[in-house]
Amino acid sequence: MSSSVSFDPRVLKTPQPVPGAPDNWKRFFSFNTDAKVIGIQYIATALFYLLVGGVLAMIMRGELITPAADLVDPSVYNGLYTMHGTVMLFLFLFPILNGFNNLLIPPMIGAPDMAFPRLNAAAFWLFPVFGVILMASFLVPGGPSGSGWWAYPPQSIQNPLGHFINGQFLWILAVALSGISSIMGAINFVTTIIRMRAPGMGWFRLPIFCWTAMAAQTIQLVGLPVLTAGAVLLLFDLSFGTSFYRPEGGGDPMLYQHFFWFYSHPAVYVMVLPVFGIFSELFPVYARKPLFGYKVVAIASFGITVLSLIVWVHHMFYSGTPQWMRNLFMVTTMLIAVPTGIKVFAWIATLWRGKLRLTTAMLFCLGGLVNFIFAGITGVMLATVPVDIHVGNTYFVVGHFHTVIFSTITFGIYAGIYHWFPKFTGRMTYEGLGKLHFGLTFVGAQLNFIPMHWAGLMGMPRRVASYDPEFAFANVLASLGAFLLGVAMIPFILNIVSSWARGPKAPPNPWQAIGLEWLLPSPPPAENFEDDVPTVISGPYGYGLGKPLVENEAHYVARALEA
Amino acid sequence: MTLSSPLPADDPAAASGSQQGHANHTLTGFVIFLLSESVIFLALFAGYIVFKMSSPVWLPAGVEGLEIRDPLLNTVVLVSSSGVAWLAERCLKRQKLVSFRLWWLLTMAMGSFFVYGQAVEWLHLGFGLGDGIFGSTFYVLTGFHGLHVITGILLMGLMLQRSFRPGNYDKGETGVVAVSLFWHFVDVIWIVLFVLIYVWQRS
Amino acid sequence: MTNLSAASAGPLRPRTLGLVAIALLLDGVASLRMADWSHQWLPLPASAAAPYVDDLFALETGIGTFIFLGCVSVIGWTLLFNRAPKYDMDDGDPIEGNLRLEITWTILPLVIVMLIAWHAIRVSDTLATLGGKVRVTGTAEAMALANSGAESSRSVAAGSFGPIEVIGRQWSWEFVYPNGVRSTELHLPLNLRSSFHLIATDVIHGFFIPAFRLKQDMIPGSVIDYSLIPTRVGRYRLRDSMFSGGYFSSNQTDVVVESEADFQHWLEQAARQPLKPGYNEARRLYEKRLAEGDRGWATVPPAPPPLVHVSTNPAAVHVS
Ligand code: HEA
Ligand code: HEA
Ligand code: CUA
Ligand SMILES: [Cu+2]
Repeated sequence: MSSSVSFDPRVLKTPQPVPGAPDNWKRFFSFNTDAKVIGIQYIATALFYLLVGGVLAMIMRGELITPAADLVDPSVYNGLYTMHGTVMLFLFLFPILNGFNNLLIPPMIGAPDMAFPRLNAAAFWLFPVFGVILMASFLVPGGPSGSGWWAYPPQSIQNPLGHFINGQFLWILAVALSGISSIMGAINFVTTIIRMRAPGMGWFRLPIFCWTAMAAQTIQLVGLPVLTAGAVLLLFDLSFGTSFYRPEGGGDPMLYQHFFWFYSHPAVYVMVLPVFGIFSELFPVYARKPLFGYKVVAIASFGITVLSLIVWVHHMFYSGTPQWMRNLFMVTTMLIAVPTGIKVFAWIATLWRGKLRLTTAMLFCLGGLVNFIFAGITGVMLATVPVDIHVGNTYFVVGHFHTVIFSTITFGIYAGIYHWFPKFTGRMTYEGLGKLHFGLTFVGAQLNFIPMHWAGLMGMPRRVASYDPEFAFANVLASLGAFLLGVAMIPFILNIVSSWARGPKAPPNPWQAIGLEWLLPSPPPAENFEDDVPTVISGPYGYGLGKPLVENEAHYVARALEA
Repeated sequence: MTLSSPLPADDPAAASGSQQGHANHTLTGFVIFLLSESVIFLALFAGYIVFKMSSPVWLPAGVEGLEIRDPLLNTVVLVSSSGVAWLAERCLKRQKLVSFRLWWLLTMAMGSFFVYGQAVEWLHLGFGLGDGIFGSTFYVLTGFHGLHVITGILLMGLMLQRSFRPGNYDKGETGVVAVSLFWHFVDVIWIVLFVLIYVWQRS
Repeated sequence: MTNLSAASAGPLRPRTLGLVAIALLLDGVASLRMADWSHQWLPLPASAAAPYVDDLFALETGIGTFIFLGCVSVIGWTLLFNRAPKYDMDDGDPIEGNLRLEITWTILPLVIVMLIAWHAIRVSDTLATLGGKVRVTGTAEAMALANSGAESSRSVAAGSFGPIEVIGRQWSWEFVYPNGVRSTELHLPLNLRSSFHLIATDVIHGFFIPAFRLKQDMIPGSVIDYSLIPTRVGRYRLRDSMFSGGYFSSNQTDVVVESEADFQHWLEQAARQPLKPGYNEARRLYEKRLAEGDRGWATVPPAPPPLVHVSTNPAAVHVS
């Protein structure tokens, strides 16, 4: 490797993310092409939208604490839950995971940046654009879309007021832009992982987080175009008088459902796979053991990718789907338990006879894992056709997916934040506040989401503003749990803000973790290793094996400490 | 189309030397993009086939079917333009810049002819976008493809203009490779569309 | 404890095996209890399908509990016994994998889920509730088809009642019986297979009776054949399960299951009643909204309540 130490003017243009320096904050509000700046931009904006989606959820739970529709008009309730689902998925979850991709992929593989930095920045800046478009739909006459995040026609194309610019129109626009942004991101992440790995980093030396990112982004590339097609046709039906989904003109509303779920089922694995990556990174660090069955765990990610593309009809078991098709998709859906099970068992085996360190990050991982096993099992119940015929479209489903999407994925995201915060801000977080955050969140989540399963089994449909009195008890419990989750946000926000402003300075490797990113200073310089990229000589997670990760490791450790 | 952005200064990897050059990234990224884009068309094809086979009504009242002669001519022109684009690319590889420009311009002309032919056809059809599932699918599918043809022509124009920068194409140009890839893609899509829309008649 | 970890490093010792056996036994007992208990989480079973669904659900609850408790116990064990002491910076055992274990935990879940799937397919075949589906372009065509279909090949199996036309609207239910009786309340004869033509006039609705454990969407542009057998006398809730806009949550009515004689009597009585607008909760709420100044977000107004012989009684008490 010919490394001539030359002055690169680009370093000046993209200063490293050191908080505190007066002109530094501006960088986060500018069109910056540095993946680390973009990553933090994504995460900060997404966390803001978590609060927005959370406040909507609080109002919904306030409405649902009593059987009657007394807090808000039913039409308002419909808009609230539609926006809650949409904000949480498209403005919180996808963006925050892209933030992690931006922060983690380049340092983990020893690349200086993404393959297409400007494309990367453009993808990010679409996010505030469609965020504002979606929020603007609260202000148009008639209010935001109230047809659920599925937006099933013909209900979604009814357009009661007849205006051209309406909530549903803006909703489709925002979702389409979010899709374009995600495709731009996906092209970037996949190209970066394929082409920019450090010398010696073969596929089976790649950290699992990068494997899962690849697997997830592949889904985006295959699935999103189908959603886009479906959404464009929906827009035409809504605004330009076509009949794709209108039976009167010969169209068929069922086609939309196929388009929608062909993407939106795999989308749930786009959300969960990176979190599987986070679990796979963190368990070895805090159990001080190599990841059990690394290769199988890596390959299982792609097993999930492939299977995820052929199970979408399990969201349509009660939609008039013929029996043979139900059976077929039941079988494919159930197969997903196998690669997922492999991962779950591998994590448990990683814990087995380790030396567990119960940091906040580890607690969130453990809690997330337990919740995930629970949610996976209710998922298999939903996949069983006769059972789904009863519980489909009830609160059982709402319970199932919040146990994954909040109690697993959001837990994993919290874990990731606590784990990598020191690396990318240069500051430690406060463990006490972190553990309080974990405790409140864990208890609140169980109280919120477990009673939902019960309500669903008894026959309470989802998406209702009012319900029969027999469901009242379960709903009171759920609402109390939800409010506890709201309270749990306080220590989190306090922790993040105060740690970033004046937390103790972080060393390069506070957790004694193994990985290229931990060989960099905290925070890493603009182009990570710049010209001095280490040569990888062994697989990741070599805890207790005593093998160095890279050639001349001492040099990099010393360099990181000096910076 | 930020994807085909050729400015090497944008790419830190090109500077660091420890990774492969920028041109390769661009093509990799572009191929990934094309694969993803083709899925949109696959979805639309699938939808079209489902509609054509299962809709209780198909042609709107008073419409007999589609005239096939002019579209066939159009098709021949568009498909052969792919070959012309390939000739242009070959000239560029052999450093024959002038013949590259000529072939390239011819490709653009043939593409424009196609768009023109399409526009004429649209204007003379006896049904509109709102005329049932037939009108809906016809206009949206051909229109969405037409948009790709126009994008292709614009991109070719951009590449042509860049070929006038002195020395710019000395080592060949990834942008040209990418755009002609895009052009072949658009052609293949059209062949499928032509078969689905014009050749396959539903009784 | 040191004893134990030493033991599991080598070939399994009798003592370890004994502990594992006891753990599995406890897990098994707990799972059986949960499976038993699971029946009580569900409403009273009132159709021929319900016992099958409940048993399948109980089976899954049992298997699920076994897996969940198994995994959580191991995690709990490591939390209790494998914690690093405060200043211990050492690493754990560098175990990188175990082929036999990995094969086991690939094959075992595969076998379990395939057995569940196979069993579920058999249950679906036994229930056979979903019939065919015919595409139409509009409500008028749907109604014509549903009426003419009664005697044709799409007709009803011997020994059963029907077909009853089920019409879903924003937001009301209407049931039309073969003798022309119209009602917003669904009456069904006990222990007889009743068959339905499901029709949606505007948007998708869901025909859902929790006590029967059955639901089926009604799709505009399709007429869907459906059938079921009620097995318990009583008044149950029928809910719209597929979101249908503004007053979706009010789109509920009752199903009344009666002995065959009572049912026939009801049919005859009903035919003699005059047609009048049925009770309509959505209408009531919408008028209240208008009276309060039409605040709230956009919604289509409710369709006029259907003209029926028998209307729902909003005060009647349902079993579940
Ligand atoms: C975000 C992440 C996420 C994840 C990871 C999953 C995972 C799974 N989901 Fe879930 N699901 C959602 C999010 C998610 N889901 C959402 C958002 C919805 C509703 C959308 C909406 O309607 O609005 C939904 C809805 C949904 C439905 C539709 C219900 C309905 O509407 O009627 C179904 C039906 O099959 C289903 C099934 C499954 C299955 C089988 C899995 C499997 O992947 C689970 C696999 C995991 C395990 C099984 C646990 C670990 C394995 C072992 C320990 C091995 C041993 C296990 C066995 C032998 C069983 N899900
Ligand atoms: C990432 C995805 C995600 C997340 C994290 C959540 C989180 C939560 N969700 Fe939601 N949810 C969905 C995705 C998600 N949800 C989706 C996709 C749907 C389906 C929509 C549809 O049917 O179309 C849905 C539907 C849904 C319903 C069903 C609505 C219905 O069918 O009628 C309910 C009901 O209780 C609910 C509740 C909650 C609650 C209580 C939380 C809690 O976890 C939220 C916790 C709260 C916070 C995290 C923030 C609290 C903040 C504050 C209290 C303010 C503090 C402010 C400052 C300090 C400034 N959600
Ligand atoms: Cu009415 Cu859904
Ligand atoms: Cu799914």
